[in-house]
Amino acid sequence: MKKGTITIIIIVLILIVANLSLFIVDETRQAIVLQLGKPIKAIQQPGLNWKLPFIQNVVYFEDRLLVYDAAPTEIITKDKKTLIVDNYARWKITNPLRFLQTVRDLNGAQARLDDIIYSELRVDLGLFNMTEIVSEIREEIMERVTKISNEKSATYGIEIVDVRIKRVDLPPENEKFIFDRMKAERERIAKQYRAEGQEESAKIIAETEKEKTIILAEAYKTAETTRGEGDAEAVKIYAQSFNKDPEFYKFLRTLDAYKITFKDKTTALLSADSEFLKYLSNPSVSE
Amino acid sequence: MSDNFNEEKEKIINFTENIPKFLFGKGIFGGFLIIILILYLATGIFIVAPDEQGVVKRFGKFSRLESPGLNYHFPYPIETVITPAVTQVKRIEIGFRTVGSGSSTRYQEVSNEALMLTGDENIVSADAIVQYKIKDPVSYLFNIILPEQTVKSAAEAALRQVVGERKIDEALTVGKYEIQEETMKLLQSLLDSYEAGILIVAVQLQDVNPPKEVQAAFKDVASAKEDKSRYINQAQGYKNDIIPKARGEAVKMTKEAEAYKIERIKKSEGEIARFNKILEEYKNGEYVTKARIYLETMEEILPNMNKVIVDLDSNQSLVNLLPLGDIPLLNASSKEVTK
Repeated sequence: MKKGTITIIIIVLILIVANLSLFIVDETRQAIVLQLGKPIKAIQQPGLNWKLPFIQNVVYFEDRLLVYDAAPTEIITKDKKTLIVDNYARWKITNPLRFLQTVRDLNGAQARLDDIIYSELRVDLGLFNMTEIVSEIREEIMERVTKISNEKSATYGIEIVDVRIKRVDLPPENEKFIFDRMKAERERIAKQYRAEGQEESAKIIAETEKEKTIILAEAYKTAETTRGEGDAEAVKIYAQSFNKDPEFYKFLRTLDAYKITFKDKTTALLSADSEFLKYLSNPSVSE
Repeated sequence: MSDNFNEEKEKIINFTENIPKFLFGKGIFGGFLIIILILYLATGIFIVAPDEQGVVKRFGKFSRLESPGLNYHFPYPIETVITPAVTQVKRIEIGFRTVGSGSSTRYQEVSNEALMLTGDENIVSADAIVQYKIKDPVSYLFNIILPEQTVKSAAEAALRQVVGERKIDEALTVGKYEIQEETMKLLQSLLDSYEAGILIVAVQLQDVNPPKEVQAAFKDVASAKEDKSRYINQAQGYKNDIIPKARGEAVKMTKEAEAYKIERIKKSEGEIARFNKILEEYKNGEYVTKARIYLETMEEILPNMNKVIVDLDSNQSLVNLLPLGDIPLLNASSKEVTK
């Protein structure tokens, strides 16, 4: 036999043995070594490991954070309202040996997580009113559910890192009810705005009318006062002057009045004895 | 020193040259194996792109980070490398999906994601975009599975929690910025608690709207607000129209009164002036003037009148006159009736 052939045979043999007895545990995984089906050691650190060929084999488990995403479920709140809760959880395998013994694989784990988280959530959400769940103490509820679930899941070698309510929705029929209420509320607000507008408008108009009336009344007052002043002044002026000879004033003014009074076809009965006509019948008469 | 080094170098070269000879002997067969060995070793050469980082694992265990450029790791199965794009910013859409690309980009509403309850038991529709990138490639690769789904679930949970803490009017208006900030903070802390190695770059609320079913009612509120200010403006307009007019009217009234006053005074002054003049003349010859004025006046008024001249001797004369009838009397223009 050639030296090279021997070398190759040796290399191949080494590779075969290595392949059977060495195994790599990745950062993302953990492993359990089984000897004839019986777990003998757990390997949680990544790196190169060895096992006995043939009689030992290795099963791997995920070492990363896993997702538990449950289907949305209906729960009843303390105030007897139905909510559809969609939650998820993050969990990881902390004790692969116990995990293997109790739930075997991810499917088994999923079923257990369903039991634990679902029932815990149901119980906890049932203790509170809807508004509390939606807003006020959501965080608190989730923290508590996480904590209690985690205690329960420890027996399965599982750590529940976070239980989180992704969505809290109302069932479609309640949603319609809410929409109706929202509509009614908006209608109320809209009405209020319009009514406020009309109120304000009416106020302004009334105020305007009032102001207008006051302005005109004030003006009337001033005008009448002014007129009165004019009249008074005139009276004073007339009186002062006419008092110089009241008889003559009366004479003149009466004649003026005649001019205006006896216009057009007024019929006058004139006495033949009158001052004006006395010369008509008796021209000789003199003063 | 130098001699010593050369000697060593020589030794190493001899040694390496002798390994193949020792292992495989000489000839074509040996050379072939050497080439295979070289090719095998060459599989360890890898390139890290500028936006990536190389994460090298040795026997599955994290060994080192490599920067962009040409790098080398021991060949499989000793070392392996993963090159995640660490500078790349990834984008997740909540409440809607972008359909198509380029000019035909459309947005499709995903209402069961978008609709959420507010603290006052109302429902709003909120669309958001979450941008994230890898903060720590080692955590990112080794601590979580399904990073995109992880970010998305956490983002939805965080957004809903934050919106749930607010009342609808707040969420629809002023709270938008706060919601973004708080969601981002909460989301980051969730991912940190998962040790996901992910950095949230931004949470952007695209739209916060009332749900489609009630949008008309919300729009009506907005138009009611408009109506309100319209009513007020109209009233204000009315006021602006009426008041100046009234003021004008007032000024007119007072001015007219002032005019009347002055007119009255001036008139009276005029009349007085006339009277005084006449009085002056009158004083010069009272009887004559008086008679003249009287006669002038008669001259002026009598021609236009119907005149009946009666000689009043006795009282019954007037009675006698009456049956004479009215017609000739009234129609006759300048008749003289004598007894």
